[in-house]
Amino acid sequence: MSIDTLPSWLNFQASSFGKRVAIRHKQLGIWKESTWSDSRDEVYRLVQLLKNKGFAAGDTLFLLTHPRPEALLISVAAQWLGGVAAPIDPQNDSEHISELFQLLKPAFLFAEGQLQVDFALQLNELPILIIYADQRGLSSYQHHALYFYSDAVNTELDLFDIRHVAESEHSAFAFFRLDNAKQVEVQLLKHREMLMQARDLVSIESLTNSEEALVARSFAASGHVRYLLAPWLLTGFRLNFPENIYTRDNDRRELGPTLVAGTKQTYERLENLIKARLPLNGTWLRAALDWAIYSQSKHSLLGKLVANWLFLRPLRDVIGFSRTRVPLLVDEPLTEQSLKFFKALGINIRNWPDLQNWKAVDVEAQSSAHSASEKNYVEVNAGNTDISGASAGVLV
Amino acid sequence: MSEQNVLLGMSNISLSFKGVKAITDISFNVNQGEICSLIGPNGAGKSSLLNVINGVYQPDNGQITFDGETRAKMKPHDAAVKGIARTFQNIALFKGMSVLDNVLTGRNLKVQTHWIQQALNSRSSVRDNLIQRKKAEEVIEFLQIQQWRNHLVSSLPYGLQKRVELARALAAEPKLLLLDEPMAGMNKDEKREMSQFILDTKKEFGTTIVLIEHDIGVVMSLSDHVVVLDYGKKIGDGTPDEVRVNPEVLAAYLGTKH
Repeated sequence: MSIDTLPSWLNFQASSFGKRVAIRHKQLGIWKESTWSDSRDEVYRLVQLLKNKGFAAGDTLFLLTHPRPEALLISVAAQWLGGVAAPIDPQNDSEHISELFQLLKPAFLFAEGQLQVDFALQLNELPILIIYADQRGLSSYQHHALYFYSDAVNTELDLFDIRHVAESEHSAFAFFRLDNAKQVEVQLLKHREMLMQARDLVSIESLTNSEEALVARSFAASGHVRYLLAPWLLTGFRLNFPENIYTRDNDRRELGPTLVAGTKQTYERLENLIKARLPLNGTWLRAALDWAIYSQSKHSLLGKLVANWLFLRPLRDVIGFSRTRVPLLVDEPLTEQSLKFFKALGINIRNWPDLQNWKAVDVEAQSSAHSASEKNYVEVNAGNTDISGASAGVLV
Repeated sequence: MSEQNVLLGMSNISLSFKGVKAITDISFNVNQGEICSLIGPNGAGKSSLLNVINGVYQPDNGQITFDGETRAKMKPHDAAVKGIARTFQNIALFKGMSVLDNVLTGRNLKVQTHWIQQALNSRSSVRDNLIQRKKAEEVIEFLQIQQWRNHLVSSLPYGLQKRVELARALAAEPKLLLLDEPMAGMNKDEKREMSQFILDTKKEFGTTIVLIEHDIGVVMSLSDHVVVLDYGKKIGDGTPDEVRVNPEVLAAYLGTKH
């Protein structure tokens, strides 16, 4: 067992700060909390289930889901057994996902709910195990591969059977896509690399265990797992999941996260959200807002205070950035104009790079069924991305 | 049709308003867990029949059997207590209240504590409030209206208000749900969405549903059982396939005898 893996850090946090809140998830309108110790126990039970179903080192657990704690914990459980978690963004075109799955032939799948389960059951080669989190509409489904997540976490735990087999050189996450020629490409992230990059982020952004991070999008891009998940395990801050993707703006406002990791699209959407709320041109209020946002260089100290208190602070609150200390932008940069806009609001967005080293996988050569396991992927050197130059307020 | 499965039995129901006959001698049964549609041209007596079922109108003749209990008359409050909830043709929500508050009003009959306990904010009333809130939130989640939870109902588009009305009815955990034109004024996508919610309600909660709907395509795809009314009389009763080929129904809808 290696001590520098994602599951070992979960173990560390649970052993050292077991009673601290690790995860908050808004369900039925209420933020529900789960401690580090609860999270580890849940992972143990999931490890037990996966192991009983034949999941072993090198296997891949695919995840077709929006962000939810169950997906996160089952990813760690798969990694605990030396496996790889492969999140697929459910927002992708269903045809794209279908083609990808037909080629990759997932053996182990975490599906969010009925829509995703139906999708999996239409595959030519059915998975061995489909774990679903939301039971709605599935009570009458009788397929032997289906397993309800809550049943897994409510089973009796056999502690003697839990052995941590992950190594820091194992891949922790895999990201798949199809290129224009319908060729499968993969990005692999190793435990060691993720933790190394997380340490850089923690150090540069001075992250502590008092941060509140919001997971608004699925962990379906490598940037999200590198800049939220790994730092979460390393520093022990709280990871917050919105009720669903449609309530994320409300939930962000309620929560006031200190750490946010978004893409260009995320920030553009937020910019539009603010702009849609601005009063009409030509009104005195709009003139005052324009003064507060666009004429800051001419403000006196008093003017800055007034602008911030009366206009900028409420605007930050509109998008739930009232307490945000570390707004991260993953991958593609924002336009100069958008960056200036956010900066004028007092939101100093930091651009952290996403990996671009996609490598082709020869799925045709994988003759056996359910062969999409790590040992069959083309090895990708994901450690080339130098993020040590990233610093607060500086575009990398 | 087994007698034991019947949740609602209408037997020889007649209703008139100042001598004008609205419903004449109508009998039909609705089985536990089925979706029964009442269809017919305007003025056929569909809404009147729904109002008889939930006690708004008292029939002149006939008997209603609900959940094994037969009576000639039932008051609306009794109907609600016994597990009959409804939505209205014209939305009847509290427009100045939030979605959550509207849904919570559907829980009124489930509140266990006395108003004095509520006023004193006793421990049991706090616990009771949490239970009611949880149940209301479950319905909100079921109908996927979480993002509008705290919005004023008046600020929502028509289709969403219809969904909130359904949520309020479902919050009462009814055995029988009466839906009066739940898809009126909706576009194609909204109708498809609402149809799915109605099917899910039956599937997930086992709720028996009686609905009035004018869109025959929707009726045929949703219903287990269709009752056709014309001029206050029953002219058809059966499965969608049976009703589709019923000559009297065809005549009523197309205006010709086949």
